[in-house]
Amino acid sequence: MSKRDHRPGVTRRAFAIGTGALAVSSVASPLPLRAQAGPIRVGLIHPVTGFVAYNGQQSRLGATMAIEDVNKAGGIKSMGGARLEAVLGDSQSKVEVGVSEVEKMNEAGVAAYIGCFQSPVGIAATQAAAKYNTPFLIDVGASDLLVSRGLKNIFRLKPGFGKCVDDGIAALGALNKAAGGAAKSAVLVHESGEFGTGTAKLLAGKLPSIGIEAKELIAHDNPTRNFDNIALRIRSMAPDIVMMSNYGNEYMLLARTLFQQKINVAGMFSVLGGGFNYKFVKEMPDVAQFMMDTNHWFNPRSAAAQALKKRVEAGGALFTFEVYLSYSNVMLLADALERAGSADKEKLTAALASSTFKAELLPYGPTKFTNGQNEGGRPGVMQVLKGDIEVIAPAEFASAQAVFPRPKFT
Amino acid sequence: MSRTALLACGGGLIAAALYPLLFGGSNYAVNLGFLVLFAAFLGQSWNIAGGFAGQMSFGHAVFFGTGAYASTILHVSHGWNPWLAWPVAIAAGAAVGAGIGTLSFRAGLRGSYFALVTLAFAEAFRILANSVPFTRGGLGMLIKSDPHPANLQFRDPIWFYYLALVLCVLSLALAWWLTRSRFGARLAAIRENEDAARALGINTFREKVRVLALSGALCAAGGTLYAQKYLYIDPSIAFGVDKSIEMLLVSMIGGAGTIFGPLIGAGVLHFVSEVTRELGGALPAIKNAQPLALIVYGVILVIIVGYLPDGSMGLFRRRRALPQGQGHA
Repeated sequence: MSKRDHRPGVTRRAFAIGTGALAVSSVASPLPLRAQAGPIRVGLIHPVTGFVAYNGQQSRLGATMAIEDVNKAGGIKSMGGARLEAVLGDSQSKVEVGVSEVEKMNEAGVAAYIGCFQSPVGIAATQAAAKYNTPFLIDVGASDLLVSRGLKNIFRLKPGFGKCVDDGIAALGALNKAAGGAAKSAVLVHESGEFGTGTAKLLAGKLPSIGIEAKELIAHDNPTRNFDNIALRIRSMAPDIVMMSNYGNEYMLLARTLFQQKINVAGMFSVLGGGFNYKFVKEMPDVAQFMMDTNHWFNPRSAAAQALKKRVEAGGALFTFEVYLSYSNVMLLADALERAGSADKEKLTAALASSTFKAELLPYGPTKFTNGQNEGGRPGVMQVLKGDIEVIAPAEFASAQAVFPRPKFT
Repeated sequence: MSRTALLACGGGLIAAALYPLLFGGSNYAVNLGFLVLFAAFLGQSWNIAGGFAGQMSFGHAVFFGTGAYASTILHVSHGWNPWLAWPVAIAAGAAVGAGIGTLSFRAGLRGSYFALVTLAFAEAFRILANSVPFTRGGLGMLIKSDPHPANLQFRDPIWFYYLALVLCVLSLALAWWLTRSRFGARLAAIRENEDAARALGINTFREKVRVLALSGALCAAGGTLYAQKYLYIDPSIAFGVDKSIEMLLVSMIGGAGTIFGPLIGAGVLHFVSEVTRELGGALPAIKNAQPLALIVYGVILVIIVGYLPDGSMGLFRRRRALPQGQGHA
């Protein structure tokens, strides 16, 4: 006989507990921060925890370093040297938490938001910020949905995946042509979310224009901890190129699996490959060798970028794209504040919309926002060569010649 | 229901209705209140099947996602008004619940086998949503922002709060009805001993399918509300395992099979989440606040499983069951 022989009943005490629950939850709610005069508050919303925590922490690092630099240089001079102050938020990789951070930061009196790394979080968070007409700078977030909804408060300095795909395809076409058309087919492996699927579909549609057939699109979940089956599938199809669009851990794991299984291809070429960075090259130099990626990258010929790289590395961190993109977005905001002479949301939005900011860390043209998207933003095409990451396109920023096709496994 | 209980209920309802005003119209507080009520509502949908009927599920996201996608597809792709799409989404949730119940219970699945099958269904639906064109696959579905009550979109988040409050109160009333009705008594009999219930003449298959359909309908209603609030869904958001876990957790922590358990559980979980997140924001040295939250969740769960198998509500039941005086020893 079970001990639970009672029926769930409603007693006075049970009701008192239940009705008290709402009061408990209201007490549980931490009081919203109050707006303060003085410093200009900047809301930083990144996934510093969760499955992309590393990327979020890197974004936070870049943004906070930039805020520190702006303040050291005297703050916003047109506002009497007003200092920037970071209000830190963690989206936890969840849409609803991202929105909650927007609401909390609005009550903390932020002048602008910077975030959010993941496109779904960014889509919802920018929507929430639009209610308050607060400018929202997308530091990382690939989806073109972010800037195609007619919201006036969104600004994305970096290129979206449409532009990255176009430039990546052009670079791959040029490489293939120079190699006498060594590649005729490709298999695309992508994460199953909005970023990976969108990028892979665009790529598959454009590959025929450079004489490469997309044999198959293979989606995988986040997280995926074993790529053996996908590697076997790739081996069976024997493509000339494997193209990847996925987040960091899956990118590295897939690359390692293909390397371990000695799958011979002319090239591994990713667009917005989340794991293509110094961490990957440092931890898996053999695997990374000859891999190529179209991605956000710093201008290797920029003294400011090289100086920041040294500072970041001196602090024990890696100079990944999140760092310099977030850093550049804070600088873009500081420039707009300087020109607006005010943290008033309308004036700041207008200053951002008319910005011609020179992103000196990045290989970009002059900033020009059209519907919130910077037309001057463009990606770099990189290749791992001799244990380092070299820019191979665009030509004016290139630091090395590409190796394509890559040497075969013996 | 006694007069005192009715008064307590009315008082709680008034307190909940006044809650947004207590914080001077703070949208953050309103949003947090929404999250608690919404989690409580989803938890109650799980509780009706998992707590009252003992049909533990690990995959309630399948109903949540069905509701979210059904209304969004009808609204975005076929131009339906979301208010009209909402009941259809609820019906879709009920149909999926009845379908899964029929397939699983016909095969005689019980306990952990049934729980694992529900998890498998949720995963299958997620993969399906990733693959078929009418859901736009992994690209997800964006609902055009057009804040107007007629579009089930509100400029002021207070209305979403009140909508969640209405749903939460309805689910509490439904749970209360289950403790008083013949249907609820049959479910309790199935939960305690299914073979004995069958021996008593209860059509256990029919009752279990019914309760899963009811639970699925409620959960689907939550899916539509989520989609209309955040205006974007994708397969991971809609059918992700974290949604299933949250529904299960709030019920287990608050007290499965109790009326107010999910509400208490939702309050506790969001309190833990907010405090750990605040710590993460206030103390940059604590860079990884989520593991901290997970550790706290884990400790709470261990305590509840070890010492309070009936959840937080069980604590009060035990105190009530003690002879006079022993409770204060």
